Amino acid sequence: MDPDRDDAARLRRGDTAGLAGLMGRHQDRLFRYLLRLLGDETVAEDAFQQTWLQVAERIGRYDAARPFGPWLFTVARNLALDHLRRRWPESLDQVDEPEAPGGPEGDPLAHAVARQQGARLADAVAGLAPLDREVLSLRFEEDLALPQLAETLGVPLPTAKARLYRALTRLRGRLLARAPAEDWR
Amino acid sequence: MSGHVTDRLPLAAAEALDPAEAARVEEHLRECAACASEAGAWHRLAEGLGRMPSPRPSRALVARTVEAVEERLAERREGAWNRAALGFLVAFAWTLAVVSWLLLDLVTGELALRLDRPVGPTAAWYAAYMIAGWLTAGAAAVLLGRRAHEEGRIA
Repeated sequence: MDPDRDDAARLRRGDTAGLAGLMGRHQDRLFRYLLRLLGDETVAEDAFQQTWLQVAERIGRYDAARPFGPWLFTVARNLALDHLRRRWPESLDQVDEPEAPGGPEGDPLAHAVARQQGARLADAVAGLAPLDREVLSLRFEEDLALPQLAETLGVPLPTAKARLYRALTRLRGRLLARAPAEDWR
Repeated sequence: MSGHVTDRLPLAAAEALDPAEAARVEEHLRECAACASEAGAWHRLAEGLGRMPSPRPSRALVARTVEAVEERLAERREGAWNRAALGFLVAFAWTLAVVSWLLLDLVTGELALRLDRPVGPTAAWYAAYMIAGWLTAGAAAVLLGRRAHEEGRIA
């Protein structure tokens, strides 16, 4: 039996061991997704906690015939988007102005880490619009194939494709603007 | 050589093209050095995205979350028990009121028959007082039940 379904059934009966199982399997990817989407660790932590509270509240509505992961991400996404809409009522598609290159000061180790390509890339991703960050995180970090990506975003396949394309081109443009000599060219 | 496929390369790197389109792009890349170089850059970007530093929730956050959910589940269980208990009490109060009404009618009617005279004003007032008391208790039970239900919904 699928351990997620088993644990969801236990949670539905009020057994917190079911919650422990679900959290153990999904907490890292959920937190990473929320952090990428919300772009702020404190807010992501709050959304993380709210997501699991809502999961416990709404587990009765979860259709056990479907995988748990996309349902969990949909719950998290709705909470995160509500927060973002309150914060930026105008648009979630808005790109921040690129920040000046630079990293943490005073800590040699942090400097060394920040110099790594992955960290620079994460920094560039953090400067994208929330919806761009979201689609990149779901595709490349959560490794969702396009149909699952579209389902999680709640959009048709062509829209998911268009969002992915737009996020990638915006990201590359941003990287080239900040460090044109690097191999993103 | 067919036309360049530059605009398809981001999605190709993301493995988000349908199979036929991906095959066309692959075929073109074998013939076009410029597009192949561009495809390399997109692939490096895609690989880099998969290797970004991966933040994880702290143990303290996970512990706080588990605690909060357990608390919520306990509240839900308590709320369900309270609703059931209140429902029983309301049903009991109304049953008692109706049964008592019938009993009162039976007793006072029997008594009146036995004494062969109508029920006096004292007994009538007493009956009215009892009935008013029961109705008040019943109404209070309903109101309390509704309030508890609303509070539960808000929480």
